[in-house]
Amino acid sequence: MTDQPPVLELREITKRFGPVVANDRVDFDLRAGEVHALLGENGAGKSTLMSVLYGLYSPTSGEILVDGRPVRIDSPNDAIDLGIGMVHQHFMFIPVMTITENIVLGSEPVRTGVGHTLGVLDRRTARDRVRELSDRYGLAVDPDARIEDVSVGMQQRVEILRALYRNARILVLDEPTAVLTAQEITELMGVIQRLKADGTAIIFISHKLGEVLEVADRVTVLRRGRSMGTVPRAGATEQSLARMVVGRDVIFRVEKEEATPGDPILEVEDLHVVDDRGLEAVRGATLTVRAGEIVALAGVDGNGQTELVEAITGIRAPVSGRVRVDGADITGRGVRRATEAGVAHIAQDRHRVGLVLPFTLAENLGLRRYRRPPLSRLGWLNLRSFAERAAGLISAFDVRGGGAETPAYALSGGNQQKVCIAREIDSEPRLLVAHQPTRGLDVGAIEFVHSRLIEQRDAGRGVLLVSLESEEVRSLADRILVIYEGRIVAEFPPEASEEELGIAMTGGTVVGA
Amino acid sequence: MTLSVERPRLAAPAEHRRLGYAAAGLAAIAWILTLPPILVRTPLPSIVLGLLAALVGVVVATDPSHRRLGACAAGLGLIAIPLALAMTNQTAANVRIVFTWSAVVASGLTFATPLIFGALGGIISERSGVVNIGLEGMMLMGCYFGIFGADIAHTWLIGAVLGMAAGGLLALVHAYFSIHLRANQVVSGTAVNLLAVGLTGYLFIAQYGDNGTPGTLPQVPNVNLPVVTHVVFFGDAFGHTNLLTWVGLLLVPVVWWFLFRTRAGLRLRAIGEQPLAASTVGLRVMATRYVAVTVSGVFAALGGVYLSDGFDGSFNFNMTDGRGFIALAAVIFGKWNPFGALGAALLFGLSSALAYRLQTFSQTLGTLFLALPYALTLIAVAGLIGRSRPPAASGIPYVKE
Amino acid sequence: MRSRTRIARAGRGLLIPLVTVVLAFIAGGFVVLFTGHDPFSTYGAIFDGTGLNWLFPWVTGTARTTAAFNLQQTLVAATPLILTGLSVAFAFRVGLFNIGAQGQYTVGGVMAVWIGSIFPNMNPVLHIVLAIAAAALMGAAWAAIAGWLRAVVGTHEVLSTIMLNWIAIWVATYLFQAGGPLQSTTEAGNPVSNTIVPSAHLPVIWGNPLLQGLSIGIFISLAAAVAFWAIMNRSTLGYEIRAVGHSPDAARGAGISVARSYAVTMAICGVFAGLAAATDVLGWEFQISTGDLTISQVGFLGIAVALLGRNTAIGTVAAALLFGALETGTSVRALNSNVFNPELASQLTLIIEGLVVLLVSTDLIAVRILGLPAKLGLGRPRAGTALDRGVPDEAATAAAVTEGLEGKLEQGV
Repeated sequence: MTDQPPVLELREITKRFGPVVANDRVDFDLRAGEVHALLGENGAGKSTLMSVLYGLYSPTSGEILVDGRPVRIDSPNDAIDLGIGMVHQHFMFIPVMTITENIVLGSEPVRTGVGHTLGVLDRRTARDRVRELSDRYGLAVDPDARIEDVSVGMQQRVEILRALYRNARILVLDEPTAVLTAQEITELMGVIQRLKADGTAIIFISHKLGEVLEVADRVTVLRRGRSMGTVPRAGATEQSLARMVVGRDVIFRVEKEEATPGDPILEVEDLHVVDDRGLEAVRGATLTVRAGEIVALAGVDGNGQTELVEAITGIRAPVSGRVRVDGADITGRGVRRATEAGVAHIAQDRHRVGLVLPFTLAENLGLRRYRRPPLSRLGWLNLRSFAERAAGLISAFDVRGGGAETPAYALSGGNQQKVCIAREIDSEPRLLVAHQPTRGLDVGAIEFVHSRLIEQRDAGRGVLLVSLESEEVRSLADRILVIYEGRIVAEFPPEASEEELGIAMTGGTVVGA
Repeated sequence: MTLSVERPRLAAPAEHRRLGYAAAGLAAIAWILTLPPILVRTPLPSIVLGLLAALVGVVVATDPSHRRLGACAAGLGLIAIPLALAMTNQTAANVRIVFTWSAVVASGLTFATPLIFGALGGIISERSGVVNIGLEGMMLMGCYFGIFGADIAHTWLIGAVLGMAAGGLLALVHAYFSIHLRANQVVSGTAVNLLAVGLTGYLFIAQYGDNGTPGTLPQVPNVNLPVVTHVVFFGDAFGHTNLLTWVGLLLVPVVWWFLFRTRAGLRLRAIGEQPLAASTVGLRVMATRYVAVTVSGVFAALGGVYLSDGFDGSFNFNMTDGRGFIALAAVIFGKWNPFGALGAALLFGLSSALAYRLQTFSQTLGTLFLALPYALTLIAVAGLIGRSRPPAASGIPYVKE
Repeated sequence: MRSRTRIARAGRGLLIPLVTVVLAFIAGGFVVLFTGHDPFSTYGAIFDGTGLNWLFPWVTGTARTTAAFNLQQTLVAATPLILTGLSVAFAFRVGLFNIGAQGQYTVGGVMAVWIGSIFPNMNPVLHIVLAIAAAALMGAAWAAIAGWLRAVVGTHEVLSTIMLNWIAIWVATYLFQAGGPLQSTTEAGNPVSNTIVPSAHLPVIWGNPLLQGLSIGIFISLAAAVAFWAIMNRSTLGYEIRAVGHSPDAARGAGISVARSYAVTMAICGVFAGLAAATDVLGWEFQISTGDLTISQVGFLGIAVALLGRNTAIGTVAAALLFGALETGTSVRALNSNVFNPELASQLTLIIEGLVVLLVSTDLIAVRILGLPAKLGLGRPRAGTALDRGVPDEAATAAAVTEGLEGKLEQGV
């Protein structure tokens, strides 16, 4: 077996986006019949690497070998032809079409004879092949059901079937368990064992340590775009892997005083919120934020953070439960009511939600307050007040790259975020909800954001920090709450170790907590 | 741009939905009672039924998840009452003359034919993800070049070919702007309509001057069915139908079969729904859309050819007179399905036919009847076909990564 | 820095429509050339037909009288175009496409002619105000149906306004046709409305009142343009509308009700279109025949006007003047038929208008011809980006790429 070349080898793959290096000389290899896990935090470069493999990005430099021969992969078609199949994290489906149609799309069986010339679909053959494949690997699906009507778990099985239908020998599973229930995960593990036995090579991408240890033969860890090395499963532990994933060096040390928490500002009680698809994303969350403390909500992306924040800030009405700010019940009362009650919100997506990009800075800075004097009187804007206020905030928050009349899109990301923060802090809130406030920012901007959050805490405001970065969480928070599958599952002091936190965030049980 | 905004789907008691549709049906019956062959001469039963439909509609509307359906049913019930009153106010003989069903069907088919072609074109374009507001202009191109071709080549066949080519060419302009340059598709379609009005008008005057098109052009022939001609009703309704009407009716199942039974149709629909997903399995989004838009122009133009060279035998300024837009409404009313669109086109055609027949003895009533299809579409789109959903990507320019 | 960028932006804002118009005229010139006419003398005659030569001091005598008359007609034609253009532009700014200006114009005209003809001895000021207000409110009510359907039910406004246009036209036809409830009481058998009584005539400020002189309607249009600008740029309502138009998500996040913005915006659009009808009916038409209802294109031309005017107040006024001039310059009355057949010329106008709309539907001129960066979005009309649903916000994408946000990029894959 060792004499055979690996079915896939990536050599020194580098991928840059402008000045940012997403993959830095990454090596990776895969043998037939093995599961090789790719482990790393959000943004470590896992998905970029797989996009390079699947022909969605072309690498800046580096080499891809399949069966020992160098290949060029310029499009998904090339990848498919080489036997590479991808199960995307965000499924690529035509929701209104049936499972069979989705599987065969692009290489549909057609009838013979005249039907072949006319390109008439052979729907029976298509369905039979889907059935056959699903029986062979235990991937139970209903060939005639529409994608939009079936569970996420079945959708994932369809993605796998689609790859197999195209004779994939190399299967990439991009965070396959992120969207599954415990029962479905167990089933998936069984499927993976069957595929392995059949000789399929599998790349298993995850940031959950437990399942990686359960399913993988070897593990390669990525951190900040670099490979931290490849280890066999034997001998690896959750602790040793967590250390590789996070690294021991903590870059940000934030100076801050001891917190002196006061009265509760935000009280969330047994909140249930559904997402856009009607699925329950927050399942009974209860938490409290007191005056003068930073409470961090830590968790892996997609565990209900977005919906929880939207419910607190009034953007989304919850199904049940209570949200109180300073004792006032603002449950489902909308954004304006929440703002009046003293909620400020640094949105996670500043391009889409935080800012109106074509608006000038003055206009963007007015978004929370434009209905009240001095910015407007009797429905008419006072542009001088807009400009004066903007000038004041721009200098107070050190926004660079433009003035009050500059459109927001012309600013760099860090300065855009400063505009958002300036606007929200200036509304003198009781509660500041900061949702991934440092996402995509450089080191300087991150420090700025952090010190502002601490300033707010020290001014006696409640701060709810939602972050995916465990470093940020540990260095800023006075208390850490871990959210998992829409519930608050654990609370830690800021001294908690990376390992403890990581295990709780990925659904593991914490010893002694 | 999609022509109906996605709404949350709510599971709710099916009885209420059935009750709502029943009320709408009741409203229809309330009016039909006063028409031949039943021809009830007193409005009372219709008023009772109409009010009943309205009442049931209101009850259904109390269920929040069926509010719109209920409101629509109630509205239809209330509309049915004046309609029935209008019928019972006329003499029975007059009503019989207007509602000579065989003649209504024959006339309705002529009104429906350009709509069928336009709607089929619209379906193909929108199913591929490109909104085609320019159907009107493409139809108009067919009108002019159909006549022009028939004139210069002395055969309607060349006219039809030239008309289709002109419509396809204009569609290609729309395709280039909306696919390649990623223009706003509604704006581009509007522009194409203006262009077509100007271009055909200009050529019409330059070629034919004030005299108009010659009166003796070779026209698309009628198909006389000798067997059917002597059968009651069918003879009058279908015995002397234009060839292009039959072509249009035949194209309906053909387009349906293409969309839902062939490989190319499956791919076209996939591209209109999720171009990104379609391209990851190797489908060619841009090329497919080009073909689809061009074909839609050809179809719409054939409807135009029928209008000028099949029906009128002449061309006049802006002679499509909004038919392209009604075809668009038929696309939506028919839920982007060829058979649905056929049903909508026939409904519109029949009500136009009735309107013109009504005008012979009550012009005012006839005119109001002309507004009815639009009101019905508005009501239907707002409420009855709540689950009508356009192709997800229709109207959204596709950006290649 | 601030003033310089402003001037640069304004300059580009002016350049693009200018290039658009020039290109459209060149293309139109080729049409003229291919059909065997001289484009230069044709355009020269059209120019004289617009009456713009009145501005040249050396035009004297009868030529000057004719020019004055033609210029009046140009302004008369521009008056409703400004208003329907504003109607369409206002909707664009919130991200809606108001194809329904024609219908709103129609119902506004019905109201104006009705109110303007039923009170024979009213105080003129009161009568005019009443008729105008009625037209504006009727237009608003008609447009509000589409706004309400979009806001509450989710029916797309393109579809509902197309339907409402036709309903308006046929109902108005019903009202004025022989036997219709609002048909003329004096001209039995003619499918026309009653005539506006003198007390409701808009005062004529330039030219002969009996020969379609220029009425104060032009001031109503200009005042509406100022109101458009003030609402859009100086009121909290306009601020909300622009926020929704650029980014419904951000607006929602700031507590602005997107549905309410849609409904209110459409009602205001209807006011503009209704006013357009009032200026026509009370200014020179004085009577509506059923034939006028289907021939009128004022509402549809408003789309072209708004797009060429980049959905700003001043741009709309300029574009309406251009289109009004084109229409007058190519009319049978104004164009010298020895040079070019006016009937051909009015079709040429439509071609040029079509080309203008086509060219402004995309970044074509800004990006490909002037070489401006696409991400500034200058080529597109200043519409809500929400209108181009699904077009990734170039600015945002560019920013995301430079920041190397992996998550953001993954969404795009």
